Amino acid sequence: MKKSSIGILLFAVLSIMLIAGVTAVFAADEALPAFDSVCQPADEGTVKPVDIKPEKPMKIAVLGLENNPFWIPVKEGTLKAAEELKPYGVTVDWIVPGDQHTAEVFGAAIEAAIAQEYDAIATVAGDAGVAPFIDKAVAAGIPVATFNAETLTENGRMIFVGADLTKQGEAAGKAMAEAIGGKGKIAIITGFFAVEAHELRRKGLVDYLAANYPEIEIVATVENTDKADIAFTQANDFMSANPDLAGIYVTAGGPFGAAKAVEDAGKADSIKLISYDFVDETMEYVQKGIIYGTVGQDPFAQGHDPAIRLFNYLVGGQVPECARLLTRSDLVTKDNIDQFWTKPE
Amino acid sequence: MANQTAKAQSFKDKPKKSFFASILKTREIGVFLFLIVLCIAMSFLSEYFLKPQNLFNVLRGMSTTAIMAIGVTMIIITGGIDLSIGSVMAASGMLTARLITVHGFYPWLAFAIGIGLGVVLGAINGLVVTRLRVNPFITTLGMMSVARGLTYLLASGIQGTVASNIPLKDPGVGFLGGGYIGPVPFPLIEMIFFVILFTYFLNHTVLGRQIYAVGSNESAAHLSGVNDRKVKLFVYTLTGAFVAFGGIMNAGLLSTAMTNTGTGSEMDVIAAVVLGGTSLSGGEGTIIGAVIGAAIMAVIRNAFVLLKLPQSAQTIVIGVVIVMAVALDQLRKRNK
Repeated sequence: MKKSSIGILLFAVLSIMLIAGVTAVFAADEALPAFDSVCQPADEGTVKPVDIKPEKPMKIAVLGLENNPFWIPVKEGTLKAAEELKPYGVTVDWIVPGDQHTAEVFGAAIEAAIAQEYDAIATVAGDAGVAPFIDKAVAAGIPVATFNAETLTENGRMIFVGADLTKQGEAAGKAMAEAIGGKGKIAIITGFFAVEAHELRRKGLVDYLAANYPEIEIVATVENTDKADIAFTQANDFMSANPDLAGIYVTAGGPFGAAKAVEDAGKADSIKLISYDFVDETMEYVQKGIIYGTVGQDPFAQGHDPAIRLFNYLVGGQVPECARLLTRSDLVTKDNIDQFWTKPE
Repeated sequence: MANQTAKAQSFKDKPKKSFFASILKTREIGVFLFLIVLCIAMSFLSEYFLKPQNLFNVLRGMSTTAIMAIGVTMIIITGGIDLSIGSVMAASGMLTARLITVHGFYPWLAFAIGIGLGVVLGAINGLVVTRLRVNPFITTLGMMSVARGLTYLLASGIQGTVASNIPLKDPGVGFLGGGYIGPVPFPLIEMIFFVILFTYFLNHTVLGRQIYAVGSNESAAHLSGVNDRKVKLFVYTLTGAFVAFGGIMNAGLLSTAMTNTGTGSEMDVIAAVVLGGTSLSGGEGTIIGAVIGAAIMAVIRNAFVLLKLPQSAQTIVIGVVIVMAVALDQLRKRNK
């Protein structure tokens, strides 16, 4: 009895060592960059496929969302990648697994993509629950790229294409501090306290200001569940409670609700609003000068680059210099908006 | 038939007290006092609370919830529930915005069609509950998903298949949600109008009294000649109309119909209704109670921002207040 359990134990240890050894050899062979290595590639959004036509037709799955206008340029990026890869016999499929970004929905979609024998998978992975599904794909020999949002839980994905949310928060903090002259009261409207991405943006700004601008006071922090109508009410409450409010920071969805409240109150000159992303409703308020600035994340590159880089890896053996390929965090204000946005007809 | 009229007449005769006496005796007096105490406390804790600007913001903020609560109160009085309101409001607002902005419809026609969508979706809820005998919780849970999908469908096609927010920039329709008459937000006036109209309806019309009858004892009401199916179909359909109106108000407020409008608002509305003394087991409840319930939640939300308290505390307090209010109500009933 004892002997057999020792035997089982020994076998278990040996097999773990074997698997670890093989994995190490495999990893060394591929020379993939470390999970948390970071860089900002020069060819963001413009990376070209290697000029090698694979012998067999290939297919790449890109798992994204379509539940709000943020995803329009992401999808455009993927469609552009599909067009660029078509001459090489590669099909790129834009797949929308559901209307919400949860581990259940995206995990099931990754499993489905494995079953459909995709050669590579790109997916949104903002949730730690997606990590085991990514590992399952990698174990099946399918390289995975993540984009837009990714969990801090380590997993087998090759690259991530998206913003560094903490850096975005810092950029927003810097913009805010400059806009209000380094002192005064600001209030924060965050999307969800429970969403990691929103918290990283919130803390990015809070920590940056605490370290660099002690005279800026944060008078309120509330969540608007990404809704503009709730942001409207909250911004009104901020203004009621703080007649000398200098700024409002919106980390996620619905900043135009806060902008409408500031506009209605006639306080656009005294209250500086900082928000994220380039959706039309936000940009109209930037153009009017009511939103002081909005921080971007190059959604086109997030939809475009993963598919191309996965192709380059599979066919050309090209490995990016780092694993986290950060996309630009441009600050768009009234002064430079023309470079980034034109009003739709 | 004569029997039905006589029975209905006796329902109608029931609340023949003076207006003020009936107010004093109503079950809402407890929560109303709670609201008053809350407001008095707030006026001491924050110098900004009683400023007209702030009070109007609070009242505007609660008016959409209260208008939708009128219908939901009636549904809950019949012993039903409606979880689909958040999605139905989004779909109706989106349809109206789409018809005006994308298809160039005459704005008030688009408004009418938007309300019509709410009516149709509400009627489907009512028909499934009454004809197919599906539990209202399940029926409206299904509709919650269907109407949200419909919202995405209505929101897409403008910029490819991605669901986008659609602007609603018509000043007339937009006035319903974002207008002001002097300093008074127009949604507040709409709320007062509907609350008075439908409080009268619920207390002084045959159909109104039948709603209570169906909720307090469905088989008794049925045996005494009340067409319970018709009554239920009516309350779900009417709720659809109110909710559609709320959705169009919401789109008008920000000049935009959004795809995520109303997610979670079913819980806000149901909480307001229950806080106001409407029993989830049916048969009792009032619209004015739901309005007070909505006001309590709006004041709590406002208070937390004015007092700079952390939001985690706000979320906990709202939950505790809802349970406490209902628990107190139960105690009061037992002591009677």
